[in-house]
Amino acid sequence: MYRRVSILLRKHFVSVLILCASIVIPFSAVKAADPAKGKQIFQQNCASCHNVHKKLTGPALAGVEGRWADKKLLHQWIRNSASVLASGDKYANNLFNEYNKTAMTAFPALTEEEIDDILAYVKVEETKTAGPKTDAGPATAGAKEEGSDNSLLFGIITLILAVVALILMQINSNLNKLAGDKEGQPTPEPIPFYKNKAYIALAILVLFMVGGYFTIQGAIGLGRQKDYMPEQPIFYSHKVHAGINQINCLYCHAGAEKSKHAMIPSENICMNCHKAIKEYTGPELFTAEGKKVDGTAEIAKLYDYVGWDADKGKYTKPGRPIEWTKIHNLPDHVYFNHSQHVVAGKQQCQTCHGNITEMDEVHQFADLSMGWCINCHRTTKVQFADNNYYSIFEKLHQDIKDKKIDSVTVEMVGGTECQKCHY
Amino acid sequence: MKRTSNILIVAALATGAFLAACNKGEHNRKPGRIYVPDMYESRAYEFYSARLAGLKPVDGTVKRGELLPYHLKEADTAQANLVKNPLTITADDLKEGERLFNIYCGICHGTALDGNGPLYKGGDGPYSAAPANLIAGAKSGYSEGRLFHVMTYGYNMMGSYASQLDRAQRWKVAAYIKSKQPGAAQPAAAAAPAADSTTAK
Repeated sequence: MYRRVSILLRKHFVSVLILCASIVIPFSAVKAADPAKGKQIFQQNCASCHNVHKKLTGPALAGVEGRWADKKLLHQWIRNSASVLASGDKYANNLFNEYNKTAMTAFPALTEEEIDDILAYVKVEETKTAGPKTDAGPATAGAKEEGSDNSLLFGIITLILAVVALILMQINSNLNKLAGDKEGQPTPEPIPFYKNKAYIALAILVLFMVGGYFTIQGAIGLGRQKDYMPEQPIFYSHKVHAGINQINCLYCHAGAEKSKHAMIPSENICMNCHKAIKEYTGPELFTAEGKKVDGTAEIAKLYDYVGWDADKGKYTKPGRPIEWTKIHNLPDHVYFNHSQHVVAGKQQCQTCHGNITEMDEVHQFADLSMGWCINCHRTTKVQFADNNYYSIFEKLHQDIKDKKIDSVTVEMVGGTECQKCHY
Repeated sequence: MKRTSNILIVAALATGAFLAACNKGEHNRKPGRIYVPDMYESRAYEFYSARLAGLKPVDGTVKRGELLPYHLKEADTAQANLVKNPLTITADDLKEGERLFNIYCGICHGTALDGNGPLYKGGDGPYSAAPANLIAGAKSGYSEGRLFHVMTYGYNMMGSYASQLDRAQRWKVAAYIKSKQPGAAQPAAAAAPAADSTTAK
């Protein structure tokens, strides 16, 4: 008998287990809240003001159940916070005042179970660490790509060969002298090379060319700042903002299509995002010298400049300007207008500023020389057809009609006239 | 052999000088030198000059061709709900509104206006607060006036965009959002022109 029961039990073990479970669960876990469902409800209703670990418009929710003495009151608060405030609950009123009297939206439609789901989700999230994710990206900064410039190598080889040739010439002349001595022909004492007129002339010529080259290069480079990469007061990485996070250039530099200047954004533009983004969790950052940069500390620098207290979520002191160092400088005698190039000319930012989305620290990409400007004006085509602005260029329109030219460049409409930029 | 060594010394010196001249480094922390700087630095008031940078225009200044100032305060949300769009919105304006939305708003609110832009990415992005869904839920019922008000002053975690978008641009964006919301009369604007850095990605 006992054996039969045990065999039966073994045979139907699984079904017995399910049976037991189905009896027990309704009793023991009436409120088996579902964190997954809670996450969904949380993201739809709560996430715009609350985060589990971070203070946003409303408080961080980690440990919220511990802070409210009465669970019923918490539920009532979530459904209709005004009624709890009206009841004079001390904790609720303190909370209300702490958050600048911003009333929490009422959610009368949430059921008890749904609120439990949310709280369960918060509890699950609580246990996950609030610290920055350590998904360190590949440490690429140290490894500078090997220059593919072979000219230096060729230069060294040429020098070595020249020295070898000189030595061989010396040996040759010495041997000649020895041979002459043996045959009894007295060879005239050779003139030392520094007195040899051919040598002197050659040396002067070489000096003139080399010296002239460097003098001219240096003179041309005066006032040009190509590759200028100053250290900025905050390590602001364009690669992180415009590259990884895909923020449009115009989001910050809104002036580029409205005015002469592209505009360095005011600090409130930084704070549009950095009120909520308090720590840096992306790939590791390095300065050009290979020093590691703590992104979170750089955000803290921003908070210090604008006078924002991240813990309180308030501006606690007057802000002061961030003194960014201007990189692209045109001399005063050159007129340049961003909006003209961006709106009418439809130029991309990268044409003149290089691959900004790959630059942690921005450097000047183009040399901003006149030759560089003119080259572009000579090759860039303007939108000539269907453009009333250029209707007065009758000859060019006629030439296009006669198929003498197929397109019109900036130069043809006066883009290389001196007064276009110098006046 | 003295002559040979002389030549070698001269050659070594020349190589050294050559290398020193070439080795300028990849990026310069210093801006370099300017010849006769009096034509480089402007004597007139310029945008970035130390004297004038950061000054605000005189109170009440209205730029030529700009819409008249908006006088409601941040707390006047009830009145803001009733404000009408002063522009006559054309199809081109909606297109411009879409372009501006994709640049300035889409990064958080998503180019689909669903509150899931690249900075939030359903909770995985760096931005920790869920941006408002503009086509469903409470925010989808906002009037154009209220949308303009929020863009002007910010709302909760969102900051003000008044420094980036002028008043006419904000009204265009508001009209575009309204055209996408349920119950909008206007047909949806055509897709944005070719993607370059001046339009949204």
